[in-house]
Amino acid sequence: MSRVVKYILAINLAILAVLAFVYPHLMEGPGKLIPGHKSLESNCFACHAAFRGASSEKCVACHTPADIGRLTSAGQALTKPRTSTPFHQKLISQDCVACHSDHAGVKRYELKGGFKHDLLVQETRDQCQACHKAPLDALHKQITGNCIQCHSQEKWTPATFEHDKYFALDRDHDTRCVTCHVRNDYRSYTCYGCHEHTPSNIRRKHIEEGISQFDNCVECHRSANEDDTRNGKNGRGDQEKERD
Amino acid sequence: MKTSLWREHVLPFTLLLGLLAAATLASDYLLHRLNLVWVGRYLGIPGTLLIMGSLVYSLRKRKYITSGNPQTLLKMHEFSAWLGSLMVLIHSGIHFNAILPWLATIAMGINVVSGMFGKMLLNRSRRHVQGERDHFALRGMSKAEVEQAVFWDAVMLDAMTQWRKVHIPIFIVFSVLALGHIISIFLFWGWV
Repeated sequence: MSRVVKYILAINLAILAVLAFVYPHLMEGPGKLIPGHKSLESNCFACHAAFRGASSEKCVACHTPADIGRLTSAGQALTKPRTSTPFHQKLISQDCVACHSDHAGVKRYELKGGFKHDLLVQETRDQCQACHKAPLDALHKQITGNCIQCHSQEKWTPATFEHDKYFALDRDHDTRCVTCHVRNDYRSYTCYGCHEHTPSNIRRKHIEEGISQFDNCVECHRSANEDDTRNGKNGRGDQEKERD
Repeated sequence: MKTSLWREHVLPFTLLLGLLAAATLASDYLLHRLNLVWVGRYLGIPGTLLIMGSLVYSLRKRKYITSGNPQTLLKMHEFSAWLGSLMVLIHSGIHFNAILPWLATIAMGINVVSGMFGKMLLNRSRRHVQGERDHFALRGMSKAEVEQAVFWDAVMLDAMTQWRKVHIPIFIVFSVLALGHIISIFLFWGWV
């Protein structure tokens, strides 16, 4: 390689090196920053720690965890908060980059739905209504708490609620949830919450049929149709009826 | 003669370059379809290692290392530089973020084209020195020694020397730009 070529190469590369230090956001930055961070564009080490990447310690130096979702980093009240309830105060750890990225080129690789309920402390995780509003439909209006019985924390739907699988809510059973599920506890139920079924008349009817175990009604009855029964552990079901 | 130039040089050159472009676009498309874009992001590392590995041939040619069949090493040089470039091209994707890595990518592209041109030139040089084969044989050299001597003569032919005057500066530019990009990644990326 001739000396002239070497000099030309060296000068060009030196110019590029200088440009890399003067305009790092253009030369090396992976895309624009979010508008709120525009003033930091040419100051990489405002957010990055050398050889360790963007550092949460540097984030919280401006964004106080106690104020996130309530106040701006300048201390003014948020007019349009992104979430109805501030939750950053209830996170198990302050790992900002686990969910947030800034440069446009990096945001492209950001996992959708970065927020995970697992990041919240257990106590907050169980209190769905602290952050979420219950739907206003007829079913949900009657329910308080215990969302996790039907819904997962990953997605609202599909929910596991399929009442017909346990008992069909036909016109005779078109009633409020608490009639059967006392204190909105959907892990248990009672059939004696209405005037139609009382322990004494149920007992009489079953003894007449020779059925001794009738504590768990839905083990045999899955609808209001008395003839549509299935075998229970010690009950007399369809097969015995057919034999009669 | 014209048909021979087209079939033996222009067509393989175009095919190899076209294959590189097509493989880049197809891989990028597949990674997007399969939601595996992050894989492309990390392909820069094996791509760079492959390109660095391809330099073994250059070391052998300049006698910094003495072992290894130069012809095999040249084939490896061509293949690993091509594959490494493919990985780096997928790694760059079609997203324009910063100037430095794109300058490095452009320099790499020019380097690949220059490398393919060199390959074409070497094939012509080999033909040119075919006549020397008999000359070496007459001097009592073994078949392997004749092959090696003919290879070195082809490599050292004036046209090849002239080509290297272009290829090596391009490679240096590419190396420095890539190094700048790599250093900036190490400096600002959170590896842990």
